[in-house]
Amino acid sequence: MKKILFLIAALSMIAAGTALAADTVKIGLTAPITGSWAAEGQDMKQICELLADQVNADGGLLGKEVEVVVADDGGNEQTAALAAQRLATKGIVAVVGTYGSSVTEASQGIYNAAKIPQIANGSTAVRLTEKGLKYFFRTSPRDDEQGRVAAKTLMGMGYKKIAILHDNTTYAKGLAEETKALLDKEPVELVFFDALTPGEQDYTTILTTLKTKDAEVVFFTGYYPEAGLMLRQKKEMGFDVPFVGGDATNNPDLVKIAGKDAAEGFYFISPPVPQDLPSKEAKDFLAAYTKKYGAAPGSIWAVLSGDGFRVMVEAIKQTKSTDPDKIADYLHTGMKDFPGLTGSISFDGKGDRVGDVYRVYKVDAEGGFILQ
Amino acid sequence: MEQFFQQLTNGLAIGGIYALIALGYTLVYGVLKLINFAHGDLFTIGAFLGLSLLTAFSLTDKLGFAMGVGALVLMVVCLVGIIGILLDQAAYKPLRTSPRLSAVVSALGMSIVFSNAIMLVFGPNPEVYPHGILPSSALNIFGLPFPVKRLMLLLTSLVLMAALYFFIQKTTIGAAIRAAAIDQDAARLMGINVNRVIMLIFFIGPALGGAAGVMVGLYYGQIKWTMGWLYGLKAFTAAILGGIGNIPGAMVGGLLLGVIESLGSAYISMAWKDAITFVVLILILIVRPTGLLGERVAEKI
Repeated sequence: MKKILFLIAALSMIAAGTALAADTVKIGLTAPITGSWAAEGQDMKQICELLADQVNADGGLLGKEVEVVVADDGGNEQTAALAAQRLATKGIVAVVGTYGSSVTEASQGIYNAAKIPQIANGSTAVRLTEKGLKYFFRTSPRDDEQGRVAAKTLMGMGYKKIAILHDNTTYAKGLAEETKALLDKEPVELVFFDALTPGEQDYTTILTTLKTKDAEVVFFTGYYPEAGLMLRQKKEMGFDVPFVGGDATNNPDLVKIAGKDAAEGFYFISPPVPQDLPSKEAKDFLAAYTKKYGAAPGSIWAVLSGDGFRVMVEAIKQTKSTDPDKIADYLHTGMKDFPGLTGSISFDGKGDRVGDVYRVYKVDAEGGFILQ
Repeated sequence: MEQFFQQLTNGLAIGGIYALIALGYTLVYGVLKLINFAHGDLFTIGAFLGLSLLTAFSLTDKLGFAMGVGALVLMVVCLVGIIGILLDQAAYKPLRTSPRLSAVVSALGMSIVFSNAIMLVFGPNPEVYPHGILPSSALNIFGLPFPVKRLMLLLTSLVLMAALYFFIQKTTIGAAIRAAAIDQDAARLMGINVNRVIMLIFFIGPALGGAAGVMVGLYYGQIKWTMGWLYGLKAFTAAILGGIGNIPGAMVGGLLLGVIESLGSAYISMAWKDAITFVVLILILIVRPTGLLGERVAEKI
């Protein structure tokens, strides 16, 4: 008898547990909370949690509270795949993230198979949306667009000997190849095209090689930790070549690593930094964020994860359901010029964001990012 | 030709760091036949402790450049050395008589513990040493610009290595370490306190790793909690390359590895740098299975 009572008690507790769990709408967030991109991941987490609080304060979603379920992908493919498998079992209705393209690539198949709509925020590699995945979207632009702006900028600077350096990640290599293909058609000489190993600290070998190739300008398509170190070491070597970075160098840590005098004069191509966002939504959001966390978010990528979150919330609100097919259909066809933090948002049939967002920035003597 | 010498010095600078870390692997292996996989993380701890001490006491402001950096290195060396001894007492000593594999697994476990502890204590973001501690001027040697910083890096590692070499070869304690490396039981019969020797080894090895950590921090500026893995792997390779257990071998292996990396990526392919390095390692091991300076180890029955 005791045993049966115990069983009933246990069962009712499990039932109560699941009932409680069903009371929230869970939206997953996969972000590089640790690893070399941790600065981005921490901001992504803070932004999504802030936005979830705002949604809940406004009465929640479908009559329930929104809950952000965070998984750390470590900015690394293996961890991301494991995190995706774990998240997929947690009853999330959609997932936001992640930052690096190769990391997103490792997880997108898993979410798609589990029919969980995913909206990446920093993954700009072209091929992510060329696979015909029905449930994959992104708020970030694509590298072919970035490559076009990069080629135009490099041509506009008037240099004849151009070096392109990437780091073999899905994103950086893709952008480097896009830009190379465009520059090959122009009357310039591509004197260098190779990859560095990310995560190292000594890039003097590469810089020395660039120097002997007489590069007049270097386009680095990789991420900010390596860019910062190279700017610093280039200055120490007395090698005075202008560097242009891709959008992954858009992070204030770049200046921290390089030092202000080494970072001065560095150009990068990127969607606008948070402070330059024009819309009212963006201004309100930045004010709320600064109030809660004491400083504005560092880069645009984390803000794009906020847009991903808002887009998913809007889709659930409009379709009044958490059915993945309905959400995906709505995002593909129903959403027209949704007022996002980073401008108006619509998606095309592939899940890519429609519109043009890239700008050129230059680092000034104080380490600030100045729109050109 | 100018490029060749430039690349050579690039390689020697990073090779000096590899060599310092490799010494830690080789010292421990020489005496205990144990690969201390946590060594790379002790190096990271050195780098982070260096940053904390530097900013907490603003050493270079108070003591001036040379004294400040000297005091910093000394403090870090002692602290990391003590952590090394504690590591041995906690993770390796209880397993001294167990099969060798148990100690290796324990070492891997400690590596994970250390790296995650660093992440929890210092945070997952890369940290940056204050700028402008080391002089940023460049010397002109045979018409080549040679940053003073890099010269200091190379010289410091050479001096530390030379000091260790003379300590091991010319002092009585050094003789005791060498004796314990050859045969622990025989050394014990000769009145050598082998436990004391092991403790000393676990002080010197991590201390050199910690010194390398501070040097990396001062020289490159940026440090992060994951960096021990890559440096540890490279230094371990350097130790194998030179012949593990052999002290001059670790030095030669480290410098050689740095130069191979640098010249390989300059003249063959940058993206294939690590592949080239490891192919060279395999080739050397095929010709000399015990490494460049490794002695032939005969199994005693």
